[in-house]
Amino acid sequence: MLAACGGARAPDDAVRLVLRHSRMVGDPDPLPPLLRQFERLHPGVRVASEPLPWTADVQHQFYVINLEGRSPGFDVLMLDVIWVPEFARAGWLLDLSERWRAADRATHAPATVEAATLGGRVWAVPWVMNVGLLYYRSDLLAAHGLAPPRTYEELAAQARRVTGAGPGRGLDGFLWQGRQYEGLVVNILESFWAAGTDLLGPGGRVLPDMARARDALAFRRELLAAGVSPAMVLGADEEQTRRAFGRGGAVFLRNWPYARELFEAAGSAVRGRVGIAPLPGGGALGGAHLAVSRASRHPDLAWRLVEFLAAPPAQQAIAAATGLHPTRPALVDPALREIFAGARPRPVTPWYQTLSATLQPELSAAVAGVKSPARALADAERRLEYFLPGPR
Amino acid sequence: MKRGERALAVALVAPALVVLAAVTLFPVLRVLLLSLERRVPVFGIEEFVGLRHYRFLAGDPVFWHAAGVTVTFTVLSVALEVALGVAAALALHRLGRWRAVALGLVLLPWCLPGVVTARIWEWLYQPHVGLLSRVAGGVNWLGDPATALPALVVADVWRTSPFVALLALARLGTIPPALYEAAAVDGAGRSAVFRRVTLPLLAPVLLVAALFRTLDALRAFDLIFVLTGGGPAGATETLTIHAYRSLFGTLQLGFGSAVAVIVFALVTAAAWGYLRAVEGREAAS
Repeated sequence: MLAACGGARAPDDAVRLVLRHSRMVGDPDPLPPLLRQFERLHPGVRVASEPLPWTADVQHQFYVINLEGRSPGFDVLMLDVIWVPEFARAGWLLDLSERWRAADRATHAPATVEAATLGGRVWAVPWVMNVGLLYYRSDLLAAHGLAPPRTYEELAAQARRVTGAGPGRGLDGFLWQGRQYEGLVVNILESFWAAGTDLLGPGGRVLPDMARARDALAFRRELLAAGVSPAMVLGADEEQTRRAFGRGGAVFLRNWPYARELFEAAGSAVRGRVGIAPLPGGGALGGAHLAVSRASRHPDLAWRLVEFLAAPPAQQAIAAATGLHPTRPALVDPALREIFAGARPRPVTPWYQTLSATLQPELSAAVAGVKSPARALADAERRLEYFLPGPR
Repeated sequence: MKRGERALAVALVAPALVVLAAVTLFPVLRVLLLSLERRVPVFGIEEFVGLRHYRFLAGDPVFWHAAGVTVTFTVLSVALEVALGVAAALALHRLGRWRAVALGLVLLPWCLPGVVTARIWEWLYQPHVGLLSRVAGGVNWLGDPATALPALVVADVWRTSPFVALLALARLGTIPPALYEAAAVDGAGRSAVFRRVTLPLLAPVLLVAALFRTLDALRAFDLIFVLTGGGPAGATETLTIHAYRSLFGTLQLGFGSAVAVIVFALVTAAAWGYLRAVEGREAAS
């Protein structure tokens, strides 16, 4: 019956795999050719790709509702890196520890594998990678004979010096993401790392070193209070800060690697005048992983699709078309390699959503100066101790 | 009533009661029970904790902050809405030929869906580009913790004052002209007429309008969710936004339900207070 409806339709006995992924803005879209290639390699298999909603929060909600219902209707999922432990703990993902060869695992940036590991098992394969990094105006730093900063204190001092005199006079010092959202948690976390602490300590202790965390947060507040970072930072996300820096309005910017291409594009006001450096404590890992739904009826084929899409040729094809970076440092532009290798995952815990959602308003209140950093962190700690069961 | 009639009455009302119970009573009880549990469904966590969530909330500065924001938002927006609604009703009442047209225009904001209203105000408040930001010299209304809540109040007042105006206008139309004539004979000035005649006669209607508006404002969600999402710096985080984020953002169903129950209690208390006030007036008159 079905076969009669259209000539090109798959035969009735074809296995149908469904891949759920967020849209990749690329020219041309790299995914369809890759999926057709997979189909040629596996006769009798058809892969349908179904895009997810646009925003991360809605994507997360979509997954939770469908996976909790136990009839997800998809085999392979593209997951934001911070969701992997949560979905693994919920029992929605297939344990890939036995299937994923150690030799291949070792080729990925360590942070990406760490982010997919929970309870000693791996639950997803890194697909595309993002990492926070520092952009600086190489022309302005050179005018003052400065090398890129190694600490946030040095960064602030350089920003003051460059914006105080010479060609950089009157520019904004340091742009970062201070709006009340996930990006703020990422920025503060990077400051925590530079200060030698973290959000979750060994054994899942919340804010294990309160004094260092408080000082790191107070430092960010001070950047705003002293004008090293402009007030717009308080409401800014990646794009707003990227545009301001791209107009030539600032000396330093914390952002993801995608901005680099835009700064070097024809007609860019800062073309040829932007340098990149690792963030002082390492940049946070972003990006996406591929996982297999435990409810998939074809786990072996689904795994083969994951393996195929995460293999070097597919990652390179995606990188060429979209600018999304491979998860293997060897495949990344040499200028970025050190930065990618130094990436650090956000706390790898099933409770990350709760952790982040609880922190966001508190961190925002602290950087805005509405609450003292000590008070904001104490309020967040009290709630997290209540929400998160130990051991985390 | 005879026994047979009584049985018939019960039988006739029963379907409606069953439907009501299913759509209101059941969810309320369900949420009430949920609020006594620690429940995170995706991790299979289900544990009876009694009143623990409520005890935690009682000592939680974040919760009290959200409660404060909720009350501030409600008091400010309802007060402004009643004042502006009455003013608009008085102006409309005096209009002759164009009243129907003017009434239509005044009612327009109230007819728009909440999310559409929110998007319109998002444009107006857009830093540097939006009209209201530009007039004020580039103020970032929604991005500044000090101005975000007032900005939300303004948007809410714009949307819902027409509701108050409509109710007040209907009442104005039923005040007998003889009362005004008598007041004029007694030599009352315009402000005296307003204070001694118009306002007392409007009061019952205004109480009802304020009741409806208070209940809506206490559980306001759409406008705040779209415009600020509770930020910046938690400055616009009302109890409903807080409950939403606990329920859907972090899937803490038990804890989120406890916050929702408190909103429910707050709304019920407000309704009870207003009804007492209305009854008091009726008993006095």
